[in-house]
Amino acid sequence: MLKALYRSTPFRLMALLSMAFLAFLGLAGFIAFGLIRAELDARLTQQLEQTFSIIAQSYGENDLTDLVDLVRSNAAANPALERVFLLRGPASEVLGGNITTAPTATGWSVTTAAQLGLTADDEMYRIYSGAVGGNTLVVGASFDETEAVGSIVLNSLGMAGVLFVILVVIAGILIATRGQRRMDRIANTMALVGRGELAARIPVQRNRDDLDDLSTQINHALERLAGLVEGMRQVSVDIAHDLKTPLNRLSFTVQNAIESEEAGQSVATLLQQAQEETRQINMTFEALLRIAQIESGARRARFKDLAVAPILQTLFEAYADVAEENGQTLTIAVEPLPDIHGDKDLLTQLFANLIENAIRHCPPGTTIAMSADATNGQVFEVSVRDNGSGIPDAERDKVFQRLYRLDKSRSTPGHGLGLSLVKAIAELHGATIMLADNRPGLCVRVKFPQTNAATTQSNQFTDRNPA
Amino acid sequence: MRILFVEDDARTAEYVNRGLTEAGHVTDVIRDGRDGLVQAMNERFDVMVIDRMLPGLDGLSLVKALRASGNTTPVLFLTAVGGVDDRVDGLEAGGDDYLVKPFAFSELLARLNALARRPPAQTEKIKLQVGDLEIDLVRHSCRRGSVAIDLLPREFSLLTYLMQNENRVLTRTMLLERVWDFHFDPQTSVVETHISRLRAKIDKPFDRPLLHTIRNTGYSLHA
Repeated sequence: MLKALYRSTPFRLMALLSMAFLAFLGLAGFIAFGLIRAELDARLTQQLEQTFSIIAQSYGENDLTDLVDLVRSNAAANPALERVFLLRGPASEVLGGNITTAPTATGWSVTTAAQLGLTADDEMYRIYSGAVGGNTLVVGASFDETEAVGSIVLNSLGMAGVLFVILVVIAGILIATRGQRRMDRIANTMALVGRGELAARIPVQRNRDDLDDLSTQINHALERLAGLVEGMRQVSVDIAHDLKTPLNRLSFTVQNAIESEEAGQSVATLLQQAQEETRQINMTFEALLRIAQIESGARRARFKDLAVAPILQTLFEAYADVAEENGQTLTIAVEPLPDIHGDKDLLTQLFANLIENAIRHCPPGTTIAMSADATNGQVFEVSVRDNGSGIPDAERDKVFQRLYRLDKSRSTPGHGLGLSLVKAIAELHGATIMLADNRPGLCVRVKFPQTNAATTQSNQFTDRNPA
Repeated sequence: MRILFVEDDARTAEYVNRGLTEAGHVTDVIRDGRDGLVQAMNERFDVMVIDRMLPGLDGLSLVKALRASGNTTPVLFLTAVGGVDDRVDGLEAGGDDYLVKPFAFSELLARLNALARRPPAQTEKIKLQVGDLEIDLVRHSCRRGSVAIDLLPREFSLLTYLMQNENRVLTRTMLLERVWDFHFDPQTSVVETHISRLRAKIDKPFDRPLLHTIRNTGYSLHA
C-alpha cells in the first residue's frame, strides 16, 4: 500500500509541493522572527533610555535623596528582576537598586545575569550605565520578553507547518488513491486488450481533464484497431471463400487435362482454360494487394497538386468509343475545377472503374454521363450517372464490400473488387462516395473536400498528352 | 542481343532463360544481387532484367549503384508486388521499365525489345514512315500513299508509338501506359476499340494491312 502510494504520480507531486511550501514557510518565519526581534530590541532600548533620563532628572544639585528614593521605588516595583537598577556613589558604594554589582563600562552593553550578581542562569540583560552627578546609574532589562515573543512567532509557524504537512499527506493520499484508481482502470483495460479482448474500453468520467482526454484517445485508437482487425479477419474469410471457387475450377481443369492426355486427346484448349483461370485468380490477388496498399495510406507521401479535369477528359476520350461499340453513349460536362492534392494514377483508376462499371453493367441504349461541378470554387463533385438498371436500395451499401457481387451466379466477368478499390482511393483523398437512385439507373457521386492545394483555378483542358 | 538476368528464383530464371534463348538472345543468369552488380559493371549488355527482391543486394540498390557509376544500360525491374509505389520507386532509382510477376513471357519479350531498341539520347525524328504510311510529328499530319488521313490526337499518339516500334510487338499494357498513361488493367476493351478505330482509318481503305494483331500478345506495325 505504502509502496503503491509512493509510486503514484499525484502523491509524489503533492509531497514535492509540500516540501517546497515548508521551505518557503521556514524562510518566511526566519525573516519575520528577525524583524520582530529587531523591533522589540529597539523598543527596549528606547524604554531604558526613557527610564534612565526620568531617574536622572530627579537628581537635584547635591541632593541625592530624590534620586535614591526613585531608584529604590523602581527596584521595589521589579521584584522579578525584569528590570534591574543600581545606583552607586562616587566611591562605588551601592546607594540603591535591586542588584549589587554591574560591569563598570559606561554606555550600552549586554551582560549575563551572573555579571550582575544574579543567580538566574542563562538570562541575558541589556544595560545602560551613565553618570548622574558624581554617581553612576545603571538601568537594565532582561531579554526574556523579546525572546518570549520570538518563540511565540516560531511556535505558531511551526504548528502551522506541522498541520499543513498532515493535511497535505491526507489530501495526497486521497487524491493519489483516486488518480490511482483511474490509472488502474486504464492499465486493466490495456491488459484486457493485450489478451485479445479488443472490445474492452476505458470508462470515461467526463471530468474533461487530461486523463479523460488520454482515455478518449486510447478508446478511439482501440476502436480503429478493432475495426481494422475485424476488417482483416473479414477479408481473410472472404478471400479464402472467394478463391476456393476458382481454385477448385482450376483443379478440375487440370484434372481434365491429365485425363485427356492419358486418353490421347488434345489438351491445348484445357490448358488455355487453366491459364485464363490462373490469370483471374492473379487479378483478384493484385486488386486485393492494391486495396491494402491504398488503405495503408502510404501513398499520401506521393501526393501532388493536380488538375482533375484533364484526367476526366482523357478518360472520356478513352471510353467514349468503347461505350459506342456497346451501343451506349458517354457524355462529359466539366466545369472549371480547383486543383486537388492527390495521386494521378489512383484518381484515374477511380473514375475509370466507375465508367467501366457503367459500361459493363448497363444495356445498349444507355446514356452514361460524366460530370464535375464545383461549388463556390472549392468543394467539388465528380459524378458518373447512367439510366441503366441501377442497384436495388438494399444492396447499395454492400457493393463497396470486398468481393461482393450483385450477380450471385458470378457469370459476368469481374472480381467484385472494383468498388472497394474506388472507395479506398476516395477515402485516401478524403473524398466521400455516394450511390443514389438516378430514376432510372445509378448515380455515383464522389465529393472532394476543400483542399488547401486549391489556390488557383486550373486550366480546364490543359494538354497533357503523355506521348 | 545480350541480356543480363538477375533473378534468385531458379524456376523463373530457367523459364525465362529458355524463352530468351529460343528467341535468339544470349542471357547471363545471376542469382545474387552483389554478383549481379559486379557482372553488370564488368560486361557490356544490351538490356538488363533485375528482380526487386534479391539475396546479397536488393534490385533497387543494385540499379542505384549501377547508375551512380555512369552505366546507362536499360533496366527492366521484375517484382512480385505490383503496387504503383513500387513502380515509381523503381523508375526513380533509374529503372526504365517495370513488370509485375506473374508475367506472360511475350510481355517480357516485347518490353525488352522496345527497351533495347531505344538508343541513348535519341533525337526525335520529324517524320516516320512504314511502308507507304507516313506521319509528320511536327504538323501532326498523316497520309498513306497520296491519301491524307485525319486522326484524333489520341489516335495520332497511338500510331506514333506503333511506328516508332516498327516490326516490334507492343502489348496492350504497353499501349495503355504509353498512350493513355493508364496504370491499371481495364475490364473493358479500351485498347481493342481504339486499335480497331485506327485500323479503320489507316488499313481498311487500302489493299495491304500494316497493323497486325499478334494473338494473345498485342499489336505490331509493319509493311
